[in-house]
Amino acid sequence: MVSFIFRRIGLMIVVLFLVSVIIFSLVNILPGDPALMILGQDSSPEAIESLREELGLNKPLIQQYTNWMGNVLMGDLGESLNDNTGVTTLLMKKIPITMQLAVMSLLISIIIAIPAGILGAAKKGTFWDYISTTMALSGVALPPFWIGILLIFIFSITLGWLPPSGYVSFFEDPWRNILLMLMPAFALGIRSTAELTRMLRSSMVETLQSDFVRTGYAKGLMGMSVVFKHAFRNSLIPVITMSGLQLAALLGGVVIVETIFHIPGLGQLIYNAILERDFPVVQGGVLFIAFGVIIINFIVDIIYSLVDPRIKLGGQK
Amino acid sequence: MKRLILLTILFIMTFVTTACSDSYTQKHSAVNDEEEKDTLRIGLDDEPPTLDPHLSSSAVDRQVMHAVFDKLVDIDEDMEIVPKLAKDWDVSDDHKTYTFYLEEDVEFHDGTPFDADAVKFNFERMLDPEVGSARIDEVEEIEKVNVVDDYTVEVVLKDPHAPLLGALTDRAGMMVSPSAVEEMGGDFENHPVGTGPYEFIEKEKNNYIGVSRYEDYWDDEAKIENVIYEPYTDENIRTTNLTSGDIDLVSLVSPKDANKLEEDPSITVDSRDGNGYLGLHISKENEALGDENIREAIDYAVDREAIAKVAYEGGALPAIDAFPPENWAHNPDIEVPENGVEEAKKLVKESGVEDPSFTLNVPPSETDEDVGQMVQNMLAEVGITVSVEVQEHGQLLDSMESGNFDAIYLGWDGRVDPDESVSKFFMSDGYNNYDKIDDEELDSLLKEARTTLDEDKRATLYEEFSEKLFNLHEHVFLVHPDEIKAMKKNVEGFVHYPDGMVRPHELDFE
Repeated sequence: MVSFIFRRIGLMIVVLFLVSVIIFSLVNILPGDPALMILGQDSSPEAIESLREELGLNKPLIQQYTNWMGNVLMGDLGESLNDNTGVTTLLMKKIPITMQLAVMSLLISIIIAIPAGILGAAKKGTFWDYISTTMALSGVALPPFWIGILLIFIFSITLGWLPPSGYVSFFEDPWRNILLMLMPAFALGIRSTAELTRMLRSSMVETLQSDFVRTGYAKGLMGMSVVFKHAFRNSLIPVITMSGLQLAALLGGVVIVETIFHIPGLGQLIYNAILERDFPVVQGGVLFIAFGVIIINFIVDIIYSLVDPRIKLGGQK
Repeated sequence: MKRLILLTILFIMTFVTTACSDSYTQKHSAVNDEEEKDTLRIGLDDEPPTLDPHLSSSAVDRQVMHAVFDKLVDIDEDMEIVPKLAKDWDVSDDHKTYTFYLEEDVEFHDGTPFDADAVKFNFERMLDPEVGSARIDEVEEIEKVNVVDDYTVEVVLKDPHAPLLGALTDRAGMMVSPSAVEEMGGDFENHPVGTGPYEFIEKEKNNYIGVSRYEDYWDDEAKIENVIYEPYTDENIRTTNLTSGDIDLVSLVSPKDANKLEEDPSITVDSRDGNGYLGLHISKENEALGDENIREAIDYAVDREAIAKVAYEGGALPAIDAFPPENWAHNPDIEVPENGVEEAKKLVKESGVEDPSFTLNVPPSETDEDVGQMVQNMLAEVGITVSVEVQEHGQLLDSMESGNFDAIYLGWDGRVDPDESVSKFFMSDGYNNYDKIDDEELDSLLKEARTTLDEDKRATLYEEFSEKLFNLHEHVFLVHPDEIKAMKKNVEGFVHYPDGMVRPHELDFE
């Protein structure tokens, strides 16, 4: 276990380093001068040049990179070029919002996937199975932004049940906060819902056909009991793994949903920062997401090994 | 097979639901109905990058700043200059000294007094190279500012400068609190302090900006207590939030949305002729565009009326100079020849350029892409090949500054004084001379027009300028887009000023 953890940490450092180099390069390859973006068309060439000097944009790239990385390693992600707010402060503000969105998404996915998957497996080959599988297929095929706009159209414009967009802090107004998060969480999670449903269904189908289940039937256990107590729990393992991975994937997919539903989260922050050429925010944000994904995967692996005694971390037999 | 049927049913159901409602329904939004009408929510088209008028360079900043700051002078509905913080002013006979008589008993939101010293501080800040103010080209002509007494201040110019008062109706005239600037330094732009009818409360990046009525305002108090500005970059989301959500007023509406919104009985659409222009910046480095004949052909071949009617759905006027028909500097006599397209074809042949072609960069909006395509078709008819490329805003700015483009479709939203709409774009030493125009006559016309204060004389000069500019064919004007705003029916008191700025203290709920 210990060696596993050490290896993982080592891997994490390598990955984060690579990510930092990649994002730094990408952001600097982009045409577009941050100083010009900040000062705008109105300003004089002298003002733009002096701002470039001030922001250190004229230094050689390697030096800019090492300056930035050096600060990051000391915990300083820099300041937004736009309004000088600390990047860390911005991240701290936006991350909980996006996390809430991602977690709610996952929860909704799970809540839908469990009955859908079980139904599909238990009634394999019947009409219910086809409904379940079709929904799953659509979920993978339909893009979140389309679903999002459709939801707004149905529930906000036509029915007037939900406000179309916006965000209110949970601490300010918990009910409204949840209400506003419903549609975006659903739209964001549509793919997860689909994949989890399929995963659970096929996992259960397999389990239901396995020896120990047939033994259960032979012993005279009722159908439902078999399904729920035995098959379901055993099928959970791949689903747990998948949920963790989905969470990581959701973090990356929030940008569009946040834009449509006007949720001021991490996705919006990074998206706007790219448009504004706000390098420190883009770099800091992406680095954080990479870090988050790595941590989540790590935790998933630990849980996986705890849940299934057959799995030993580190790949030992 | 069964799955296919199910999927098809699913899709049909979805499309039926979507297709059924064509117009926006006027269902009352699912808003908390208890929320008292003490908050006005304004939907902006972007997140204001800064709230410091001396540093600001986006139009969207100005909307918020109009709540928090007062200017020295203002405009009325007819674009005439009226007093504001300066209750009166004199101009010396040589037109180089402006004496402003300030309102007394005015305080900044931080309690410090507004007086001649504050005015002097403001101008010096704009002129300070260390500050690098974006207002520099508006105030460059100022040589010095003298405090005569507490409420009288003299602004001395190097040369007469007609656009000065016009500039002072906007950001250059917005007075910031000197003590707040000194205290907060660089953070001032996130916590602006002015003398305006609303004081700044808080700003959450990408979320909202909140301001509240300033109870000690020196002039007529605001009627609505709070204003919240929310940025919505996507125009569809913005308008949806107006019709079905919490937004009460949207400050930028596209012509397509405007036509749809007019059918909605719960929404008021207010459209007026805009003061700005949109057109093609041209780089002569491109082989085709470097040839005079080709450029003339372009000016004759584009059907401006069609563009205004189709791409802008009637929400624009065709433009052949920088000034819309309503503007006093407009030249009504410039015309494209009747058989423009035929003339253009001849010119293209005469030019001797083999296979003339260029790339046209357009911003990433539906309307701009439509215009690009229309231009492409019109020029194809006369033998010029155009490829349209959509470029994101940051990249566009970059292309313009670096000169790395053939043609770009962009424009300017116009200013109170005509000089500010043209000199920096069309003078040889203009900061934004992307077309790289270098014509002595144009330079001297514009110079004369800005150093004389006689409006009639200026009008003649601008007419001459516009004619010359057209004959140079180094910039192709296309349209003057309308200025369109939309609001919920219960918002009253809205006056559509020519500068497109919402003055929230005049608004009220029914």
